[in-house]
Amino acid sequence: MANLKDIKRKISSVQGTQKTTRAMKLVSSAKLKRTEEVAKRSKVYATKITELLSEIAQKMQNNDSLDNIFLQGVKNPKIVDIVFITADKGLCGGFNYQTIKNVSRLLREYKEAGVTVRLSGIGKKGIEFYRFNNVEMINTVIGLSATPTYEGAVEVIHPLVEDYINGKTDKIVLIHNSYVNIITQEMKIDQLLPVETSKLLLDRVSLSELEVEPDEDDALLEALVKRYVDYSVYYALISSLAAEHSSRMQAMDAATTNAKEMVKTLSVKYNKARQEAITTELIEIISGMESMK
Amino acid sequence: MELMKLEIVTPDGVVFNDDVKQVTLPGGEGEFGVLAQHASLVSLLCAGVITIETADNKTISVAINSGYVKVSEEETLCIVDGAVALNGDNSDLAKNLEEARKLLSQSKASSMAIASAMGKVEQICKIS
Repeated sequence: MANLKDIKRKISSVQGTQKTTRAMKLVSSAKLKRTEEVAKRSKVYATKITELLSEIAQKMQNNDSLDNIFLQGVKNPKIVDIVFITADKGLCGGFNYQTIKNVSRLLREYKEAGVTVRLSGIGKKGIEFYRFNNVEMINTVIGLSATPTYEGAVEVIHPLVEDYINGKTDKIVLIHNSYVNIITQEMKIDQLLPVETSKLLLDRVSLSELEVEPDEDDALLEALVKRYVDYSVYYALISSLAAEHSSRMQAMDAATTNAKEMVKTLSVKYNKARQEAITTELIEIISGMESMK
Repeated sequence: MELMKLEIVTPDGVVFNDDVKQVTLPGGEGEFGVLAQHASLVSLLCAGVITIETADNKTISVAINSGYVKVSEEETLCIVDGAVALNGDNSDLAKNLEEARKLLSQSKASSMAIASAMGKVEQICKIS
C-alpha cells in the first residue's frame, strides 16, 4: 500500500507544476498576440518587395540578361552557408528539435555530396546542441530570436552576402520555423541566395514598359536583392518567434491537461488508500472485540 | 486634378496609404515629382524628404532614409527602410523632428545628402 503522506505530497507537487504551466501558457498567448501583430505589419513590406523584385527580374528575363549572380547561381555549389533559427528557451514542444533535425539532415546530405558547409546559428538552443556535438559554427547569435530587430538580422546576414558576392560561398540557406496559425507551425528551408526565380511571381507580373533609374539594371538589382535577403531574414525571425510562442502555448496547454489528469488519478489512489486504512483499522477493532467475547 | 494612389511601406508597417495629387521623391539621381498617369518607373530613393500633396490640398512631409519607389500609371509604391511623418494630423512636432533627425543621421547616405535633408526637415518644422 502506498503511503498516504507520499501520495498527498505528490498531488500537491503536480498541482504546483500545473499552476506554472498554466501561467506559462497565458504568458505565451499574450506574447503571441503581440508578435502576430508585428508579423502582420511586416508582411505587407515582404509582399511588396517580392513584387518589386519579381518585376525587375521579369524585365531582365525579357532582355535575356537573367544570368546575374543573384538570380543564377553556380551549377554545382561547393560551399554552402546554412543559417538556422531556433529559440533561446526550451519548453516549447518539438519546436527546437524540429529545426535541429532538419539542419542535421541537410548537413549530412551535403557532406555525402562532398559539399563544404559553413554553419551559422541564431538562438541558444540550436547553438548549444551543435556546440555540444562539436560542430563548428562560423557565427552564433544569442538573444536575437527572442527580440528580432531589422538591424540584428542585417548584422547576421550581411557578412554572408558579402562572401557570396566575392564567390567565397555558392549558396545561402535559411532554416527556420514559420508561423501558420495558432495551432500550426511549419518548417521552412529557404534558399536565400541565389534567389529562386521560381519563387518570384514571374508570370503574374504585367509586362509594362519599365524605366529603371539608375540606368544600370545590375546596380538596382543588387541593392534590391540585398534588401530582399535582409528582409527575408528579419521576417523569418519574426515568424519563428510567433511559431515559438504558439508552439509553447500548445505544449503548456498539453502539460496542464496532463497534470490535471494526473491529479485525478492520484486523488483516486489517495482515496482508495485512505479507505483501505480505515477498513484495516475497523477490522482490527472488530476482531479485538470478537476476541473479548 | 486627377488623383493617384500612394503607398509608403516600411518594415514596421504601412505609413501612408491614400489618394494624392502629387508626390515629390528624393530619387537616387535627384529629386523628382510624380503626378497621376506617370510612366512606369523604378528608382532608388536616398535619404531625404517625400513631399505629398493630398487630395484636399494639404502638404504632408515624410522623412525617409533609403528605399525604392515603383511608379506605375495608377499607383506609386514607396518601399523604404524607415520613415517619419513630419506634419501629419495632430502629431507632436518636436518629437517627430527628433525622430527624423535620428533616422537621417543613422542612414548610410553621404553626409551632404543627410545635411541637405536635415535642412529640409527643419525648414518644414519651422513653417508648420
